[in-house]
Amino acid sequence: MTRRAPTSEAPRGPVAGRRVTLFSIVTVAFLALFLLMVVVLLATDLWYTDAKSFREALASREVLHALWLSVFTSLVSVALIVLFAVPVGYALSRYRFPGHALVEALVDLPIVLPPVVIGLSLLVFFSTEIGQWIQRNWIEFVYSVPGIILCQFLVSASFGIRAAAAAFDSVDRRLEDLALTLGCTRGQAFWRVTLPMARNGIVAGAIVAWAHAVGLFGPLMIFAGTTRMHTEVLATTVQLELSIGRIEVALAVAMIMLAAASVALVLVHALTRSRRGWTT
Amino acid sequence: MIRVRGLHLRIGAFALRDLSLDVAQGDYFVLLGPTGSGKTLFIECLCGLLRPDAGSVEIGGRDVTALAPRLRGVGYVPQHQGLFPHLTVEDNIAFPLRSRRLPRAVIGERLAPLVDLLGIGHLLGRWPAHLSGGERQKVALARALAPRPDVLLLDEPVSALDESSRERLCRELRRIHEELHVTTLHVSHSVEEALSTGNRAGVMNDGQVVQAGALTDLLRRPASEFVARFFRTENIIPAEATPLPDGGSELAFAGHRLTIQGKHEGPVTFVIRPESLQVLPTTADSEVTRHASRVTNSVPALLNHVSDRGLYRRLEFDAGLPLIAFSTLPAEAFQAGQSYLVALPAEAIHVLP
Repeated sequence: MTRRAPTSEAPRGPVAGRRVTLFSIVTVAFLALFLLMVVVLLATDLWYTDAKSFREALASREVLHALWLSVFTSLVSVALIVLFAVPVGYALSRYRFPGHALVEALVDLPIVLPPVVIGLSLLVFFSTEIGQWIQRNWIEFVYSVPGIILCQFLVSASFGIRAAAAAFDSVDRRLEDLALTLGCTRGQAFWRVTLPMARNGIVAGAIVAWAHAVGLFGPLMIFAGTTRMHTEVLATTVQLELSIGRIEVALAVAMIMLAAASVALVLVHALTRSRRGWTT
Repeated sequence: MIRVRGLHLRIGAFALRDLSLDVAQGDYFVLLGPTGSGKTLFIECLCGLLRPDAGSVEIGGRDVTALAPRLRGVGYVPQHQGLFPHLTVEDNIAFPLRSRRLPRAVIGERLAPLVDLLGIGHLLGRWPAHLSGGERQKVALARALAPRPDVLLLDEPVSALDESSRERLCRELRRIHEELHVTTLHVSHSVEEALSTGNRAGVMNDGQVVQAGALTDLLRRPASEFVARFFRTENIIPAEATPLPDGGSELAFAGHRLTIQGKHEGPVTFVIRPESLQVLPTTADSEVTRHASRVTNSVPALLNHVSDRGLYRRLEFDAGLPLIAFSTLPAEAFQAGQSYLVALPAEAIHVLP
């Protein structure tokens, strides 16, 4: 389905006509100012690095491995986050239970906590009896690739859950109920009515979560380590190169991250545009 | 058919209490009631969206009280229509058939005659947000009818529309019913809607069905003052009844005497619809007037006010107590401040039980 579903009757989105008012000038001026800041930063980065550093970075096996690992771990994390965010967001949105407010606060906690704290907590947990048992009998997390995914998941999942809950809030419950009279089971009603209507909000949450996961390095340095060709991701590469004074290489790697992120964002926007306007 | 027995449902301070109702196979039944009388709750019990605390619901001869909504054989059009905004009109109508995993060819076969019947072929590719209120209602109706339900439940199907679309859709509903003969329960707060669509009706008040039957019965022979008022039978008059030797009775009120059919005794309340009253001119001769009054079962009354209602004139009389009459004569035929004889035909008078 490539056609675009129109928005509901409530007028949202672009206003008709092109009247220039003081108000529109002010809002557009702020937009221009913000864009200027972003563009200036990008320009200075590009100006500071040189083609040689780029070539060096792209030719380096370590950097390429880190790039691949960044893409791989962040995608796995985001898949896990969506897998969790959909049922958790639905439960938070639709069910009221004792302690609901407390549960919401706990779900939000990783958003306000410094990410390093999560890495530290993970390290502490895996030094306990239970943690050790998991390490021995199940998956080895400490200083390993699964550890990277675990860190990214824990730090970023809240963004996905928050967005999914908000998206489900915006879906009219009555439509879900109505689907039951139109031959659906609860599960079918969710799959055919609620989920498609919440889709854009969930995708937006996944993008934010993914961005966080990709940029994460603090807890990884503590919990997953920064071993080259093993647990080094691009965000840690930037940090490592910086710490040994190779600013040009750090910037070149950062530019690679930026390019990858831009491609991903444009792709996601293009894929979800057909149904835009469903959720606020 | 629908058969409800002893339905109880408590939600907060409101309750459906011991609600029973029968809608025969192929009937178009209009359930009337003021806002807040529990009509929507009742219809949600029928759909299975709400579980009653007690009582039973039978649809199409099956006890569906414990069944999930999808297994009840109901086609439900809620007040908000509930078109799925992420699906086109065609996908909306096909929705219940796809839920039942019918083959694509069967879906096409089912849709075509329905789309023709409702005249919505030109809307199939559109999105619900781009439809008018009347179009949306028709699409919702098509979607409810697509799985060929045993009963069709319509919750205030036309109340969101403007007056002319409302009349048009009521005629459509009537026509569709005559075509498909699907047992229909139409919930409404409008007497006009009931008169233009249904053949039988019930009146709900405070979580109970207080009277059900043929529409003409509800109109002419209300079972209570509430029903009389709901149908805007404005003349509700307390009187003293005395049985007459010929089998009829005499009603005395505000110094007037009327004869009616049937035996009644003691204090009673009678009703007569405003359109049943006849307004006669008086003469200066009081003896002639008295005689005319006896012959025509009428009372002398002073015309206080005339208001033009388009199709008819509403006349407010004072006959010791207020009497309202509707007349199709032009407004110039009446003069406020004049005395008239207002006839209350015996056969139009109904004494409340």
